[in-house]
Amino acid sequence: MRMGRLTRCALAALSLAVAAGVAACSGTAHTATSPSSGNAKTIKVAFGSTYVFDTTGLTNKWWNQVAQQFEASHPGIKVQLVPIPGSYNDIVNKLSLLYRNPSTAPDVAEIPTGQIGLWASSGYLRPLNSELPSTSWWNEFPAVVQSEGTFGGKVYAVNQGENDSAIFYNKKLFAQAGISVPWTPHNWSDILAAARKIKAKLPGVIPLWFLAGSGSGANGLLQGINNFIVGTATPKIQDGNKWVVDSPGIRDSLTLLKTVVDEGLDASESQLFSPNAVTTPLALFPQGKLAIAIGSNYYPGNWTKFINAPAWPAAPQTMGVVPIPTEHGGGIASTLGGWDYAISANSGNPKAAFDLINIMENRQNSIDAANWAGWVPPNKTYWTAPAFTNFAFSQALFGQILPHATLTPSSANYSIWVQGMGNATGQIVQNPNTTVNQAINTLKSYVSNQLGPDSVETLK
Amino acid sequence: MATMNASGAPAEMLPFGGRQDVPQRKRLDVERFQWGSMVLLLPALVLLVLLFLIPVGYAFFLGFTNLRLVGPTALSYHFTGLANVRQLLHDNVFPLSVELTAIFVVGSVVGTVIVGLALALLMRTANGLIRILVGGVAVVAWMMPAVTAGMTWYASTTAGGTFGTLLGLSSSDFLHSQPLLIVTLANTWSQCGFAMLVFAAALRNIPSEVIEAATLENASRVQRFRMIMLPLLRPTIVTTVLLVTLLTLANFSLIYIMTQGGPGNSTNILPVYSYQQAFSFNNLAYGALIGDVMVIIATMFGFAYVRASKVRV
Repeated sequence: MRMGRLTRCALAALSLAVAAGVAACSGTAHTATSPSSGNAKTIKVAFGSTYVFDTTGLTNKWWNQVAQQFEASHPGIKVQLVPIPGSYNDIVNKLSLLYRNPSTAPDVAEIPTGQIGLWASSGYLRPLNSELPSTSWWNEFPAVVQSEGTFGGKVYAVNQGENDSAIFYNKKLFAQAGISVPWTPHNWSDILAAARKIKAKLPGVIPLWFLAGSGSGANGLLQGINNFIVGTATPKIQDGNKWVVDSPGIRDSLTLLKTVVDEGLDASESQLFSPNAVTTPLALFPQGKLAIAIGSNYYPGNWTKFINAPAWPAAPQTMGVVPIPTEHGGGIASTLGGWDYAISANSGNPKAAFDLINIMENRQNSIDAANWAGWVPPNKTYWTAPAFTNFAFSQALFGQILPHATLTPSSANYSIWVQGMGNATGQIVQNPNTTVNQAINTLKSYVSNQLGPDSVETLK
Repeated sequence: MATMNASGAPAEMLPFGGRQDVPQRKRLDVERFQWGSMVLLLPALVLLVLLFLIPVGYAFFLGFTNLRLVGPTALSYHFTGLANVRQLLHDNVFPLSVELTAIFVVGSVVGTVIVGLALALLMRTANGLIRILVGGVAVVAWMMPAVTAGMTWYASTTAGGTFGTLLGLSSSDFLHSQPLLIVTLANTWSQCGFAMLVFAAALRNIPSEVIEAATLENASRVQRFRMIMLPLLRPTIVTTVLLVTLLTLANFSLIYIMTQGGPGNSTNILPVYSYQQAFSFNNLAYGALIGDVMVIIATMFGFAYVRASKVRV
């Protein structure tokens, strides 16, 4: 067709403008619609189907178990399970998309602790304050666990299970290196001393597994450097709506990492940057290739024959577990994070949704979830129960650590701080000449670039 | 014979005298738009509008809002004018991302064309079995899904992988020490099968008489290649360059699987950065704006491709 060049360009621009116009008309401001009558006959429950519990089989077993218990006690109301495959990011993204539309928003969802604040602020979640006082379990949650779902005085989510951290060490390798067991590090220097002895006496063994780099995302910090930051005199990462990018605590933690890396006490760059770095110690310990790791409470359960990820029958005799000390001693340091239940603001039957949560928080279901997903149950009476403590070695210790643990920030922009810290720690591992100042600069400039220079703070 | 009647309209002399007004006949040598064809084009037009223009238009609109994936402006978002553009201009990862994308695209295109052409040339004179094997491997590499290709290269180039073993440096981690180079090689590897097929077909179309004539004139192999084959291949090279550019510009999966844009920002090309902003940092609107930039760049290359592939009569 013979059209002048001008005509063609005009037509192209016009069609793009028309498309934008059409889209703009359909894409204008939405607000959450008000909830419906409140007695819908189906409640939708969304959960991670492959990532959260230790195996998919156990995921299905637990969720079917609670669904059956609910339907037996609530004739006429059906539970529709909405499994979400994939890892942490896939679950979060999929849930975000489901919640955008009231007709797909799940009545009950399993959301990660670190996202609750974000979701509460988007108007997606229904406050539970009125229903909680009448439960038998809410008051048994430690204060720090209750606070993880509380924003502006309203409780938007209640905990399903928590992860906390401790130091795992191989008693046999320690004996070979001449370190007396049981070992109790009282401060960070003790950890360094033991790692140095291992390096000197056992050259083929990785002395200390200290995560670095952005390959493992937020989990890499949860099971890595954050356990040290929260054990210093300046544990804060978020201060109001500013992000702490420089503080004595952060500097000391980065210095510790640098020392560990420079002296060859850490794993290789390849191992640390792998996306699976968080769970690699589970395989290395049974092979006798790793001496010390900053690990998580799910390790002992994974080594049981029941969970088999991998099964290591000699684990209870070979491994020692001890709380992570604070920098100069005198306290326990650990991060805290897990998964929570939340009810949608648009739920068609909020009463039934809360009844389901009540069933899921009862003793049997809560302990089963903890054992099958590698959590500490949030309820004080459950984490001391034999059904939990006898499931795998050292689970009782992780229950004791729980009330001393520190929550990770739950704000929108935490993922940016995570990326910045991942870049900073990765830089230290990749380039031995990186100074702590340079690493701090990486963190500071990354966060200020993304969020603006007045969003960052230096603590003295 | 054309004459005019009284009112100036064309008139014609009839064979036996008299004049008759000639109906205003249109010239037949000029291309005219056949409006009847709109009926046949309508289904394709509807699909184009629904599946391309509207989503791209929506993405352009979103780029100027404050939409987030989760957060206070997840549901109640509104137009914010040029706020995101200002953020783009102050963002120091964005120019880095553009530069990395340019290096990645140029490296992949140069690599793909050279390797593809070399393979096609060598295959002409190779024996049957080698031709089948090499051709087969190149095509399989091209057809491989990005996940498989990414995992294969990840395993090969990290510590303990085949790269290191072959070079005798089995503990070296090539992927994390030279990330952009490795991902460019991986992309070249996965595209060169396509280039090889295109060039093999183009080479077959070079008339053998021309090559024979050159040989008779005592042209060396290099001269034959440089002065005969290369000029005749020029249109193919141009279209291959543009096609590979377009394919590589949108290549998100390979890099995301191998490095997720890291270490640091060293492989954070535009598609990966857009995804990071939209889905890791929940900043959907800003991610859309970066996507808009990609659409504009790709459109410019697309126009170049259309012009280059116009048949010259």
